Amino acid sequence: MKRLLKVFTYGLLVMFILVGCAKQPSEDMSAAQKAVEDLKATGAEKYIPEDTKKVDDSLAAALNEIKAQDGKFALSRNYDKAKQMLAQVKADAEKVKVDIAAKKEEAKKNALAGQQAARASVKEAKALLAKAPMGKGSRADIEALKGDIKGLEDSVPELQQLIDKEDYAVAIDKAKAIKEKAEGVSNQIKEAMKKVKGK
Amino acid sequence: MAFPAYSNKRNPKTLFILGFLLSLILPGCSSPPLPPEVKLVETMNHDLWKARAHVYAPEEYKSYETTLKNIMDDLIREEARFIWLRDYEPIARRLKAVLRDGEGILKKVEERKEAKRVNTTRQLSELEERIKELDRLSLTINEGRLARRSLTKAGLMIKEAGLFREREDYDGATSRLTIASGYIKASEDILVPIFNRYTDKTLIEKWRRWVDEIAAESRERGTSAIVVSKIDRRLTIYKHGRPFKTYEIGMGRNGLADKLLAGDGATPEGSYRVIKKLFRSRYRKALLLNYPNEEDRREFLRLKKMGLIPKRAGMGGLIEIHGGGKEGMTYGCVSLENRHMDELFELVPLGTPVAIVGNAFPRDDISITPQKVGDD
Repeated sequence: MKRLLKVFTYGLLVMFILVGCAKQPSEDMSAAQKAVEDLKATGAEKYIPEDTKKVDDSLAAALNEIKAQDGKFALSRNYDKAKQMLAQVKADAEKVKVDIAAKKEEAKKNALAGQQAARASVKEAKALLAKAPMGKGSRADIEALKGDIKGLEDSVPELQQLIDKEDYAVAIDKAKAIKEKAEGVSNQIKEAMKKVKGK
Repeated sequence: MAFPAYSNKRNPKTLFILGFLLSLILPGCSSPPLPPEVKLVETMNHDLWKARAHVYAPEEYKSYETTLKNIMDDLIREEARFIWLRDYEPIARRLKAVLRDGEGILKKVEERKEAKRVNTTRQLSELEERIKELDRLSLTINEGRLARRSLTKAGLMIKEAGLFREREDYDGATSRLTIASGYIKASEDILVPIFNRYTDKTLIEKWRRWVDEIAAESRERGTSAIVVSKIDRRLTIYKHGRPFKTYEIGMGRNGLADKLLAGDGATPEGSYRVIKKLFRSRYRKALLLNYPNEEDRREFLRLKKMGLIPKRAGMGGLIEIHGGGKEGMTYGCVSLENRHMDELFELVPLGTPVAIVGNAFPRDDISITPQKVGDD
């Protein structure tokens, strides 16, 4: 029995030494936190909110797991699960970051295309207006349409400002609105010119 | 390190040590399951985030988050306790309560979202209607380059607001509607003073008097008279005091305003006479009017004295009724289609009285109401 107790005690000591060494995975923690911060810095919450939230929640769960282990008796602490969770958070954050870059690029492309289309529509309307007979003898509506085009011209530079701020969704909406209005003005000018020619 | 001596007798001290050591090992073997509410709370958190509770019910959501954080901290503490001391029951009860709070917040969020959606939709449609009205009025007065510039910007903002509303971003939509409101106001500031003249009783009475006077003259002398109604864009020839023929006309780019000075693009209002018949004019044929008359001169000097007209400004002149087309934009003259001008030219002799009025007949469609949208 004495021998048995001795073996048991030594075994316990070995275990104590081994388990007692379990420390907070601070490096993994920092790496995961940095990965999430880097992800957020890309504006991820705006472009892929669902995935970003998921990564954020996973990080919070991993930190809670560490807290739970911290609160345990030293011998029973085990950070393996936390380490796994943190590794997963880091991997997920890096993956979402790659996705974000693609999404942003796509949004930028769409915003630039929208800006170009809006500019072209305003340009077309302006060119049409220049062709319309002006001054005395011109259609009265033409004068009013000048105001419409001026309003559109004032709004076009706002598109670049939005693109510069990476506010692509709003830029796309605005470009769409400008294009529609400019096309409406062009149609009105064409109608007005038709009436004048018909006289 | 010394160990207690072993004895064949069951030493209570040894048993205690063994028991203690075992107690350190056993808790790691198994753990009681967490209450199912933990998972439910995770789902609730996600639902609240998705519903944007932090935007639509910020106070309630903050309180929910604080309560939940305290519970989760207690849960972590509970998990850290020895297995036989762990009791998740109180935590489960508190989580149930917090879940009920979450449900309540979700309901509130939906109610507030619906209220915002309804309000945004109402504002959107009111502003759209307002723009339509101002658009129509700006075309009526032939004016409006500045007014329409602002109206166009307002229209763009309203379109954007509509797109924000589709995405359920009501705050974004509201901010755009506020900007649109500002543009509409700027447009109204240009248009309202012009249209207010057409609802001014004193002015309407004056215009009626001018029309009645020349109609009476035409009746008494058996001659012709001309009435130009600017808001109707019509010229009517009177014969023997009765309307005989009506033509559509064009006016200055600022035609609905009363002429105050040279170059303002306004068509003068007053009681005039045809003082010259021009058989050959740049615009087919023309009837020259005696603008400015005495009343115009008096008014011009009065306004100049008051500083409402620049000191160097001139009165302008050479106001005619001429051909060139009714769609034309004049510098203040009244223009007709050439064939109508030919007819008119034959019908009216020199000295024919001409009343140019804002509105010869009462109309209801020219009133303009102050903007109400955005006040609430």
